[in-house]
Amino acid sequence: MKTMFKKGMLGALFATAAFAAAPALQAQETVKFGLFHDFTKVYTFVADEFSQGQRDYLTLINEEGGIKGQKFEAIVRDHGNEPQRGLELYNRAREEGAIYFMFLSTPVANAVVPRALQDKVVLGTPLHGRGDTMVGETFPYVFPMMASYWSQAARLLKYVEDTQGGLKGKKIAHVHIDTPFGREPLPILEKLAQQKSFELRSFAYPSPGNEQSAVWSDVRRYRPDFVLIWGAGNSQMVSVREAVRNGIDPAKILSVVWLTETDMKNIGESTAIGAKRVEVVQPGRDHPIIQRILDKVYKAGKGAGPEARVGNTYYNYGVADMVIATEGAKLALEKLGPPLTGEKLKAGMEMIRNLDTKGFMPPVTITPQDHQGGGQARVSQWDGKAWVPVSDWAAAYQDVVWEEARASAAKFSQGK
Amino acid sequence: MFYRLSGVHHTRYEDTRRLWPIPTDRRLVAVLFLLALSAPLWLSELYLQNYLLPWLIWSAATLSLTLLMGVAGQLHFGYAAVMAIGAYSAIHLVRLGVPFELAFIGAGLVAAVIGCLFGAAALRVKGLYLVMATLAMQYLVDWVIVNVPAISGGAHATLQAPEARVLFFSFADGFTRYYFAFFWAVFMTVFLLNTKRTSFGRALVAIRDKDYAASVIGVSPFKYKLLAFFTSSFFGGMSGAVLAFCFYRAVTPEQFGFNVSTQLVAMVLVGGLGSVIGAYLGAAFVLLTPMILSNGIAALSDAGWLSVSANLLAHLPLMIYGALIIGFLLAEPLGLAKIYDNMRNYFLVWPFKHSRR
Amino acid sequence: MDFLFLAELFVNGLSTGLMYSLVALGITLIYKASGVPNLAQGAMVMLSGYLVWAVVSLLSWPLWLAIALAVVGMFLFGLATERWLLRRMVGQPVIMIVMLTLGLDIFLRGFVPGLLGAAPKRLDLGIGLAPIIVADVFVNRAYLVGAIGAMVLIAAAMLFFRTRLGTKLRAVSDDHVASWAVGISVERAIGISWGIAGVAAVGAGTVWGSVQGVDWTLSALLFPAIAVVILGGIDSLLGVFVGGLVVGVLGSVIPGYLDPIVGGGTRDVVTSVLIVLTILFRPYGMFGREDIERV
Repeated sequence: MKTMFKKGMLGALFATAAFAAAPALQAQETVKFGLFHDFTKVYTFVADEFSQGQRDYLTLINEEGGIKGQKFEAIVRDHGNEPQRGLELYNRAREEGAIYFMFLSTPVANAVVPRALQDKVVLGTPLHGRGDTMVGETFPYVFPMMASYWSQAARLLKYVEDTQGGLKGKKIAHVHIDTPFGREPLPILEKLAQQKSFELRSFAYPSPGNEQSAVWSDVRRYRPDFVLIWGAGNSQMVSVREAVRNGIDPAKILSVVWLTETDMKNIGESTAIGAKRVEVVQPGRDHPIIQRILDKVYKAGKGAGPEARVGNTYYNYGVADMVIATEGAKLALEKLGPPLTGEKLKAGMEMIRNLDTKGFMPPVTITPQDHQGGGQARVSQWDGKAWVPVSDWAAAYQDVVWEEARASAAKFSQGK
Repeated sequence: MFYRLSGVHHTRYEDTRRLWPIPTDRRLVAVLFLLALSAPLWLSELYLQNYLLPWLIWSAATLSLTLLMGVAGQLHFGYAAVMAIGAYSAIHLVRLGVPFELAFIGAGLVAAVIGCLFGAAALRVKGLYLVMATLAMQYLVDWVIVNVPAISGGAHATLQAPEARVLFFSFADGFTRYYFAFFWAVFMTVFLLNTKRTSFGRALVAIRDKDYAASVIGVSPFKYKLLAFFTSSFFGGMSGAVLAFCFYRAVTPEQFGFNVSTQLVAMVLVGGLGSVIGAYLGAAFVLLTPMILSNGIAALSDAGWLSVSANLLAHLPLMIYGALIIGFLLAEPLGLAKIYDNMRNYFLVWPFKHSRR
Repeated sequence: MDFLFLAELFVNGLSTGLMYSLVALGITLIYKASGVPNLAQGAMVMLSGYLVWAVVSLLSWPLWLAIALAVVGMFLFGLATERWLLRRMVGQPVIMIVMLTLGLDIFLRGFVPGLLGAAPKRLDLGIGLAPIIVADVFVNRAYLVGAIGAMVLIAAAMLFFRTRLGTKLRAVSDDHVASWAVGISVERAIGISWGIAGVAAVGAGTVWGSVQGVDWTLSALLFPAIAVVILGGIDSLLGVFVGGLVVGVLGSVIPGYLDPIVGGGTRDVVTSVLIVLTILFRPYGMFGREDIERV
């Protein structure tokens, strides 16, 4: 009796699906960007703000008349951190003509990488995805655009070296969530520990990291000079609290990019004054780009979310991601002319030289070899109200980072 | 009406013992088989590669889990781990230079051997406790994969599926991927349909219904429980390998996390415990509903028919999906297959409802 | 061997374990009355956390009032869940009911953050961060409060089972049919057990919400809670208490020494091995009641 009338469902199913997302066949007047996020599962701490920043910046570009008459359209969907849903969105958006993609989820982005390389469309992987995609020769269509986790870890150590008169003999604790993401900086840290002869010990707490007391008891006894905290969302908040509770001076805390004003407010604004993080974009509203958004987008009531979020760290990261992508589109349109395709956009991205954003982010230079954009970042410190920069934009130990990236990229090309 | 019984006379025992004694069912199966076989001709690339292909692979995986949960009655909340073992074994074997055909079977064997360890718990406990034991083992497998770089593939914990061929067809080709997955699903379907009619299958059913009673009539629970875990894990591991080579083309630990295990269980249960058609329906529901809902709601919102905050918009599909699971289970606790069966039973005698077959 | 390190791990393990007990309490209460393992308990903890946060932050009412309101709200939520969802599944295979609670879990995880916001929220109970220092052993204040809360709630639940209503609940957990026969309303008893589980969820949601922030990750507390109930025995209140202590202490002390050797977070491994060993050697937990099967 158990007939497999599996495909019988097809008719009904695809009728629904077609209704659900009839890809409107429009003329290629707008440039489509597929900006997908995990709004519901793991990346909820960043997705809302990041996406809002992206959409608002594209709205701003459109309000200002577009680039060379071309308007931009964002396709925003939720993939729930599930690769199969991400792939579906990717292919659907590709059929609709999107040429730039971003997923802000490492597992989804990793699943898309080989396909983007094959389909010749640009995949942006700022602050997520494989670190070795900065090697442009191996990953011609993948653009991390901002300092990778490896460069971030290197930047933080460089800061210690600069301010403490060298790293020699220092004790550094790397407290991380026990996932591939948390382990990612370890090769760089270990290599630098050898080169600069400082002492490194890593402490892993189990995911999702809402309970870390045992680990921090151990960290306290290690008496580190500096503590790197490598987590995201709630686990960062718990890490900072546990550090403070265990009598570690907040000034010794060095965090990955995932520590924001929201986290600090959740921790308690004055609890961890002095905590430091690496940042790749300037937070706050005190910048012409953000002012333009407030002026032309929010005053016109076209904002993609609550105005209160404008200027938050992750919001500005979203804006920065779009600043770089649209700059690439602009160069491509200028030099190669419309209509824009994935290949042209890629070429345009690789033409970006010293993109000057007046301090919104470090000068970005993307070449066919270097897709990381230079790997510059800076360190900022929480003063109880906001993040204040305590260093300049700079790239650190890029030789070590590139060595690791090349080795890893070589493995990728062999695996293919 | 549709499932007309009149005029169907079985004159030989073979006829009554056929898989589908009613002609309509046979025709339906044939039509569906041909439709699926010709899918690359009439289905766009998007739907073929992102709906039909994963659906077939997940259905095959669900079928192997159905063998364990539905037929043998052993609950398993760590099935994604079994599939992960298969996927990783297949990829590592192919990388070592083993031909894909052998690596495919090797993946099944490795998964089956480790899967039997899951089964060890089943010898001791059942029901809820078995759920917890398998869940714990899922965590152990995950941990080993994440913490042993030799398995997970280094700093990024991503392994690309190497270039491989199956019977001279390369996996780089979309058709190969689809047809390999399709024939794998067909094989699993035929296997499960027939297993239920073998002495092995009947022994499993006896274990499911009451293991003590089964041992009284000479069916060894020890042997058959382990055999059930072995067989199911064997095919589960192979399905994992199919998933890695045909769909993801790369493996990361996140693809086989605990949430995937619960999804697989949901596919079996929402579809209908122990039913072949239920496996297909359940896989379709669990896998495709979130995508369709998400696209549909986004389309409604783009058309301006739905104005809610972006946050609520993103969460609506999850809400509706949860509500649908609840709704279906309340409407028909035995799953989607039972709903289909009810419809079928209705049409079997329509319009002479009073005759009851 | 650093004795103080061991002592600190031990003490913090005790209190974390009890905080897991707080989540586990609801599962045990429901299982005791109806034999249903409630996989939506984590989502109920999340819901309570959000409720308390919403009253405090959105309405800016005092914390005690927020907790009181959440207690009432979650009690009603528990009653409603039983009345509209679980009661209609009576007599169906248990695994289908488990699936139903899983569906409820998915629904709540979409509904609550969708309505109230997915970004992490702050729930401040006014507990200072400074640890209580006893001879260089740092004791976490927030955890201590949570542990005391857990003990109070578990004790209250134990006492409740000695009241008249509680006796009825015990009768129901023994035998549904026999309870019906003597005129106890089984449905109402099970409904009340769901209500109390909702109240227990408020305790867990408030304490954990203050420790890790309020967002959907609260629902992930289900897994340590499951370890607690399996170890202690799923239908025993004493088991929840002792199971929490054991899971907490072992999950704190063993990784404390093992992590540096292995180079990874081993707490979940310890918990998983604990579950597997318990199930292999003492399937019904430390204090659980062994079901006698009849052919």
